Amino acid sequence: MARLFRFIVRPSAFLSKEVAEIVRQPRLVLTLVLGPFLILLFFGVGYRNEARALRALFVVEKESVLAAQIERFATSLGPQLILTGVTTDEASAQERLRKGEVDILVFLPSDPLALIRSNKQVTFTLYHAEIDPFQAGYVAFFGQFYVDEINRRVLTYVANQIKEGAAQVQDELEEARTNAKAMREALERGDTAEARRHQRALSRNVNTVEVAARTSLGLLDGVERVVGPGNKSDVDVVRVRLTRVLEDTDTLAEVEEDVSELSVQAEKVSQIEEDLVLLEKELAELQNVDPLVLVSPFRSEAKAVTAVPLKVSDYFAPSVIVLLLQHLAVTFAALSIVRERSVGTMELFRVSPLSALETLVGKYVSYLIFGGLLAAILTGLLVYTLRVPMAGPWGGYALVILALLFASLGIGFVISLISETDSQAVQYTMLVLITSVFFSGFFLRIETLWQPIRVISWALPATYGNQMLRDIMLRGYAPDTALLTGITAIGAALFLFSLILLQRLMARR
Amino acid sequence: MVLSTSAEQNQIQSGATNDVIIEAKAVSKHFGSEIAINEVSFQIPPGKIFGFIGPSGSGKTTMIRLLAGIYKPTAGDVSVLGLRPSQFTRQTRERIGYMPQLFVLYPGLTVWENLSFVASIYGMGLQRGARLKQALDFVELGGHKNKLARTLSGGMQRRLGLAATLVNDPELIFLDEPTAGIDPVLRQKFWGHFRELRDKGRTLFVTTQYVGEAAYCDLVGVLVQGRLLVMDTPTGLRHRAFGGEIVDLRTKERLDRSYLEILRGLPFVTGKVTRPDEQGTIVRLIVDEASTAMPALLDWCKEQNVAIESIEEHLPPFDDIFVALVKKEAAHG
Repeated sequence: MARLFRFIVRPSAFLSKEVAEIVRQPRLVLTLVLGPFLILLFFGVGYRNEARALRALFVVEKESVLAAQIERFATSLGPQLILTGVTTDEASAQERLRKGEVDILVFLPSDPLALIRSNKQVTFTLYHAEIDPFQAGYVAFFGQFYVDEINRRVLTYVANQIKEGAAQVQDELEEARTNAKAMREALERGDTAEARRHQRALSRNVNTVEVAARTSLGLLDGVERVVGPGNKSDVDVVRVRLTRVLEDTDTLAEVEEDVSELSVQAEKVSQIEEDLVLLEKELAELQNVDPLVLVSPFRSEAKAVTAVPLKVSDYFAPSVIVLLLQHLAVTFAALSIVRERSVGTMELFRVSPLSALETLVGKYVSYLIFGGLLAAILTGLLVYTLRVPMAGPWGGYALVILALLFASLGIGFVISLISETDSQAVQYTMLVLITSVFFSGFFLRIETLWQPIRVISWALPATYGNQMLRDIMLRGYAPDTALLTGITAIGAALFLFSLILLQRLMARR
Repeated sequence: MVLSTSAEQNQIQSGATNDVIIEAKAVSKHFGSEIAINEVSFQIPPGKIFGFIGPSGSGKTTMIRLLAGIYKPTAGDVSVLGLRPSQFTRQTRERIGYMPQLFVLYPGLTVWENLSFVASIYGMGLQRGARLKQALDFVELGGHKNKLARTLSGGMQRRLGLAATLVNDPELIFLDEPTAGIDPVLRQKFWGHFRELRDKGRTLFVTTQYVGEAAYCDLVGVLVQGRLLVMDTPTGLRHRAFGGEIVDLRTKERLDRSYLEILRGLPFVTGKVTRPDEQGTIVRLIVDEASTAMPALLDWCKEQNVAIESIEEHLPPFDDIFVALVKKEAAHG
């Protein structure tokens, strides 16, 4: 019993020591709490989730036929394109780009139609001075978006023209039905001459419909081929019916000489009449499709299934907590043993009854309590002041924080035990911080990293922390068991490694 | 002022034999090619102040660290409280106090918090308040318990270090240059504290580079370049340094050379006969034992009609003893 009591008392030395030292540094505590809170506050207030507007200067040749169209297009593309002018002076345009007065130069060819006629695509060349790869990518994306918009407008114009042609199809179909009816009536009366005349007119009508409908059907056919026709293709049905009407009409021209067959012929014409009615209806349905829908048949709409709508600052809030706590735990632990060595207390410990295990447990418990308190205050401020969502269970949240601190302290103690000086320990902690910023999924998704490099990510407690806290706070999930096990295993391994290193340090030499 | 009651003292156990609490047998410690301690052997009885004296870099700290269990000997053997340091249990360590050469407590903690920290690592329970107060009062820091350690003067920091060493009431206390860098008045006080502890049965192993402090010790070891030149009582050291005790004979008239020759031939004179002053009225003799030599010398003066002013024992400062011992050692190769 006495032995157990002493095992508790010895590590507790560090708890009271750390508490006393930290309480004497109120500014440090204030900075640790208020710092991240203010960062998120200002980020949340200041961040505008809008695509960057680019100031564009168009460079054309003197005789360019596009010069007149630029302003109309540029002003209709939305606020992301700010037209700063059109110039023919390439040198001055380059100078303005260099000085940062414009963001992009758009070089246009002088005669795009000539290029198209010679079977070449028209290229709009965008020049920019971005050094940030993300911004350079944005400019390229913007240029593609711009060209796609122009292409879409061309296609819309073509579709409109086709739709206007479709009105002629309806007229022809109506005339074909009239001729078919007149032919059937002539056949029923036995007036073969009249029937032949209407057959010729009908044949002309059906051929005209076939030619005019082919263009419209081609567009629709393209859509069907992309998405798949399903069980039955509307376009194919119309095509089959159109072909049958054509063939039937042609057949009538051959058999009408045989008078005994008049009633059979009349029945065939009656069938043509029915087909023409159906064709008129089916083509009308297909041709009612808006040209804009035809050229851009698809659009997407993203809807989140999260419990609450999220702001950008909400997304970063869990990661800020994670990075702060990891850095805090790593730094405090990293300076801990190395300071005991530089102050000289380690010499005292080696003579005293204090064991390496008791030393490490004392320090772990002290920093876990301090880190936990800090996490509670910071989380409270973020959730209740900045309204960062806490959709998941608080118990799970606390468990993740505990595991994160445990694993982070392990990194810190290993650093502390392999460092000879304070400055060496600080350098190592900065390396851990920078690695965490780039590899823990703080702002770059881990999936964007090459698979073998992800080993670095999964060695960092922050990676597990980021994923679990985002899931808990923003999605409302419980902590992921695999991730929780992973981070705890890392913590346990680091604890054991630190213990071995500390035992070596405290051993007789 | 002491840290334990007589009842507690009775409970003090000595793990060693009754006569020896620390023993070193041909101990050596090498750091690479450098020899810090070279085949040192000694035995220390309990309840004594043992002073380890030597110049800076002579190996005193290495020796104390070997005994405290921080270093492992390269060769030889060490026994403290009857155990090798590698066999120290928690209970053994609780019986040992150690004050390192430099102030090693936390500058950001108060005097009281620092003491409380040390009490905790020694596993002392919550009823430690009285003990801490005793320790602070013992080093006269009772009025400064709420001061931050970094605001204390150098002397006060040393006293705090001593209080921390004594807080668990150890029976064997290692003090590595406890008086280094502090003023003579405070040094006297420290030695006063050490004697109090010794008188209550504690054993103190004290290193110092102040040779004069050998006079406060019960036993003194002189360490030079990692070698133990000699170990003896302060009186014994004096005897060894000069080949006997020293008596100064002050006469009214200057004695001529023939008298000096006669004095050299006296049976109780064992060493040199010299004239330490310019006037030549003092004759300094090395004798076997001053207490028996002085009456005999008085008789000789009467016989020879030599008018004397005084006969007294001369106690040379330990600096001189130290230098004499080192020279003697050098002469012996």
